[in-house]
Amino acid sequence: MLRIALKGVLARKTRLFLTSIAVVLGTAFLSGTYIFSDTLTTTFDQLFADIYKNTDGYVRSTQVIDGGFGQEERQRIPISTVDLVRKIPGVSGAAGNIQAFARIIGKDGQPLGEDGFGPPTFGASISDYKGELWTISQGALPTKPTEFAMDDVNAKKAKFAIGDSVKVVAAGGSRTFTLVGIARHGQARSPGGATFALFDITTASEFLVKAGFIDAVLLQSDGTVSDEALAAKITAILPPTLDIETLTGAQITKEVQSDVGEGLSFFSTLLSVFSFIALGVGCFVIYNVFSITAAQRQRENALFRAIGASKRQITQAMLVEAIAVGIVGSIVGLFSGVLLAQGLSAVLRVTGVSLPPGSLIFAQRTIVTVLTVGMIVTVASAILPALRAGKVPPLAAMRSTALDTPGSITRRVLIASAFAISGFGILLAVILGADNVLLGLAILLVFIAILIAGPAVARPVSLFIGRPAARLRGITGAMARQNAARNPKRTSRTAAPVLIGVALVMAVTVLASTIRAEISDAFGKQFTGDFSITADSNFFGGFSPSLADDINALPGVQRASGLGVSVAKISISGKDKGKLVTVIDPLTVEGIFDIGLIDTPVTSLTKDGVFVSQKAALKNSLVRGSTVAVTLSDGSLHNLEVQGIYVRDQLAGNYTVSRQLFDETTVSRFDTAIFILKKDGVQDSDIRTSLNAAIKKYGTGELLSKSEYIKKQAAQVNQLLGLIYGLLFLSVIIAIVGIIITLLLSVHERQREIGLLRAVGMTKSQVRTTVRWESVITSLFGALMGILLGLGLGWIVIFSLRDQGIKRFTVPTTGTLVILVLSFIVGVIAAAYPAHRATKVDLLDALAMT
Amino acid sequence: MVNSPLINTTVAAATSHAVKSYGSGDGTIFALNDVTVEFVSGQFTAIMGPSGSGKSTLMHCIAGLDQLTSGSALIDGVDLSTLSDKELTLMRRERVGFIFQAFNLVPTLSAEENIRLPLLLGNKTGDTEWIKKVIDTVGLTNRLSHRPSELSGGQQQRVAVARALATQPRIIFADEPTGNVDSTTGTEILTFMRRAVDELGQTIVMVTHDPVSAAFADRIIFLADGKIVDEMLEPTAVKVLDRMKSLGT
Ligand SMILES: Nc1ncnc2c1ncn2[C@@H]1O[C@H](COP(=O)(O)OP(=O)(O)O)[C@@H](O)[C@H]1O
Ligand SMILES: [Mg+2]
Repeated sequence: MLRIALKGVLARKTRLFLTSIAVVLGTAFLSGTYIFSDTLTTTFDQLFADIYKNTDGYVRSTQVIDGGFGQEERQRIPISTVDLVRKIPGVSGAAGNIQAFARIIGKDGQPLGEDGFGPPTFGASISDYKGELWTISQGALPTKPTEFAMDDVNAKKAKFAIGDSVKVVAAGGSRTFTLVGIARHGQARSPGGATFALFDITTASEFLVKAGFIDAVLLQSDGTVSDEALAAKITAILPPTLDIETLTGAQITKEVQSDVGEGLSFFSTLLSVFSFIALGVGCFVIYNVFSITAAQRQRENALFRAIGASKRQITQAMLVEAIAVGIVGSIVGLFSGVLLAQGLSAVLRVTGVSLPPGSLIFAQRTIVTVLTVGMIVTVASAILPALRAGKVPPLAAMRSTALDTPGSITRRVLIASAFAISGFGILLAVILGADNVLLGLAILLVFIAILIAGPAVARPVSLFIGRPAARLRGITGAMARQNAARNPKRTSRTAAPVLIGVALVMAVTVLASTIRAEISDAFGKQFTGDFSITADSNFFGGFSPSLADDINALPGVQRASGLGVSVAKISISGKDKGKLVTVIDPLTVEGIFDIGLIDTPVTSLTKDGVFVSQKAALKNSLVRGSTVAVTLSDGSLHNLEVQGIYVRDQLAGNYTVSRQLFDETTVSRFDTAIFILKKDGVQDSDIRTSLNAAIKKYGTGELLSKSEYIKKQAAQVNQLLGLIYGLLFLSVIIAIVGIIITLLLSVHERQREIGLLRAVGMTKSQVRTTVRWESVITSLFGALMGILLGLGLGWIVIFSLRDQGIKRFTVPTTGTLVILVLSFIVGVIAAAYPAHRATKVDLLDALAMT
Repeated sequence: MVNSPLINTTVAAATSHAVKSYGSGDGTIFALNDVTVEFVSGQFTAIMGPSGSGKSTLMHCIAGLDQLTSGSALIDGVDLSTLSDKELTLMRRERVGFIFQAFNLVPTLSAEENIRLPLLLGNKTGDTEWIKKVIDTVGLTNRLSHRPSELSGGQQQRVAVARALATQPRIIFADEPTGNVDSTTGTEILTFMRRAVDELGQTIVMVTHDPVSAAFADRIIFLADGKIVDEMLEPTAVKVLDRMKSLGT
């Protein structure tokens, strides 16, 4: 039997190939994800090992505040620490090190680097110290307050040459420097696509952070003691009031590597989540193909049974085929992953992230996981069809057509209803107060219900969807409609990948449009000014606070107010928590940005005060007059008095302080947005001109009207949405492949019918039309079910977020229409090849078949 | 023309020096070897001959389902080899009717849709009166909404006959139309075909093995090894049997 099974596999190479494609697509993405993230991690590990190659020790402050969302700020240390370290015996050299926000303005007046989620823009220090992280590759080292160097890649990109005057924006404002050198970071021409402006340490300290302060001291040992001993010695010798720690070169390397690794692992996790979704979708395709072929081979299998093969042998033969498909598909998928990984690198390169050269990492884990997962998925998907094949009665050999009926429809509907009812029951329980985690179970149950009900509804729904086709296309449309309805199980299985893809897209779209509406609403209520200037810096850097002051001085401006965020440690009931606090200017914010203070004028906020959101106040039993201990990122401790409670916390978060609080600290402060109220009677165009002139002086920032600003805030969701859509695109491809395979098998099965139709006068183009419409109906069936499921899913997710302040449920009409149109197109694309095959059916062969 | 018995009637279909060969060199098989034949309007012709003699091949080539290696095939005076695939298809749809031995019907369409299929494909309504008459004649009026799977084998063949007649084609080709049904049904179907010729003036060419079936025809052509070896007018079953014996089949 095994020999027969293997022979059967080889005899049906086309089918083997088609089934394998489903496995290949699923596993290729998994393999690509692994290879890509391994390569990325290794590349960055090597990069940092290289950069810190000449660093034996690293002295920095012990004080660090974690603001959440990866916002970590370490306190700075006095620049004098460098000299202290240099004098310690065993140290052969030391230099200060700074890395902070700076943005270089290009020749066209536009800042370099991407807005939004692009690589960051940095300013850093450079010196002639032997262990310096940067090396000048062209020109000279910047040594004067008017000189700077920049990274190789971005200098080339911006077409800067040595000697050019270049504007740079940083905490210290906007200044023009002379470009004196081009530098490289270790082996890399530019690390990870980030832009770097490099200054001598004094200029860096004064311009990028706060005069007299640096991030850390880099040092080299004279080799007389071990790095560990030297580090211990330095920590012991330096005055304890400095609050410093000393890391060895190996330690700092490791720390940076694992920091970056953490960031990358989020990325890899995201990728692998989507590759598992793709694999799940692939399962349906594999399951479907095995089911169809089992049905088509029913007569053959019945014949085997009639001549004495046991049920087990039939089932085993199918499983042998599944294993063959699994092996072939997984191996091809594994290697296709290499191409995918290269593709991903290319995408990164296009978006401006230049990776240091290096070959792809093909780890053993990748091979083992991909092959195992691919095999398991294939065999698991084939088990049901194989068992069903074994159940074929020998008598079926006498029957002529492939039997693939949905069994008892009532039973199906009953079972599906049972699942659906339990799902909705759980939903109700959650609405009545049960744990949100149960929502996941509810989603799963409803999803299973839909899949079980699929074959029962496929026929009526396909007939319904196909009605316009029959109307529009006459007999070809009518036949397409009947063909889509004739094998309800097949149709619903083929549509399942479309269903899953559409449901996910729909849910994400619902969520996004809801969040967009919430954002528009929140910003609309709180931003009461006329214009805004925003820095696209994503929490990192922004405008120097002096820009707001400059704008306030403009004639057409009634008032302008800067808004920023800062990382701080807040002590509540004895526990320290890192937080992002909102920084406002209480003297100017009135009437421009409204956080909804309860019975308190915003102007009452002093240097020693804090406004707290109602939510946080309730949670932590704070009332007006309570004291909150706040530690800023420079380590300075401030006991702030609660001077007001506010209700609109969507933008301001839980804590809001005055910008004056920062006046005597070393924290480098930025505004991320400036809001402007114009004077009555001033023309919009006039004030735009003068505002733009002010922005130009600083180099960065975008001027937007109130409505533009609100739209832009809401559109931020779109970037994330785009990423998710992109990743779900793979599922769409698998869905298309699934439809192609099913149609090919159906066309093969209906050769006689096609031959007959051709004989009595169906033209080739009519044959194509029939296949195309069948495909479109199938795809639309999946889309329709997916939209329903997706809406439900979206509603459930939004419901679970009700505590996060998201309350409304927006049905995305445009999104739904777009999905329907796209499903239509998917159907047309998927039909192209099978339709072509259908026209190639040999008339006489088909008629000769009995 | 040697084989033409009725000089004054029009020719519905014809071949001239038709050759159909498979393979090349020593192994060449001649399915048709220089066949020249005419089918006259309003005549019922049966093609007989041993298995492998080229009956189906001849039919397929005249009906535009297959191409000749050399020589020509004409329907209504049109040389089929000059037609594109699309023109051939339209020719079959509009001027030719088909009845096959089995699997004549599209399983997803009703009996009525199957009958009207060539018209539906051409987006035409056809002659409603005529179609009604055809359906009445074959006795399917009560079965029109049924699917083929709900019809007996005989009923299915009757639907096929009705379909072939529905478009009032120039010529109908039937390849062993009674091969898959019992003899009573077979006789029924042959009677319809006969009536179609007598009462409706149809032209029919039918391939058959069976002398009794062949006796329904006006004329019989005997094929052997791809050649026309004999011809008989006004046949009876007995005459046909005798002739078959003398031809050694
Ligand atoms: N596709 C083909 N390839 C090779 N030989 C063929 C092919 N089709 C038919 N033949 C041969 O042509 C001859 C005539 O076939 P056919 O017309 O089907 O005979 P009949 O219908 O009289 O039984 C036979 O010898 C058959 O083997
Ligand atoms: Mg034959």
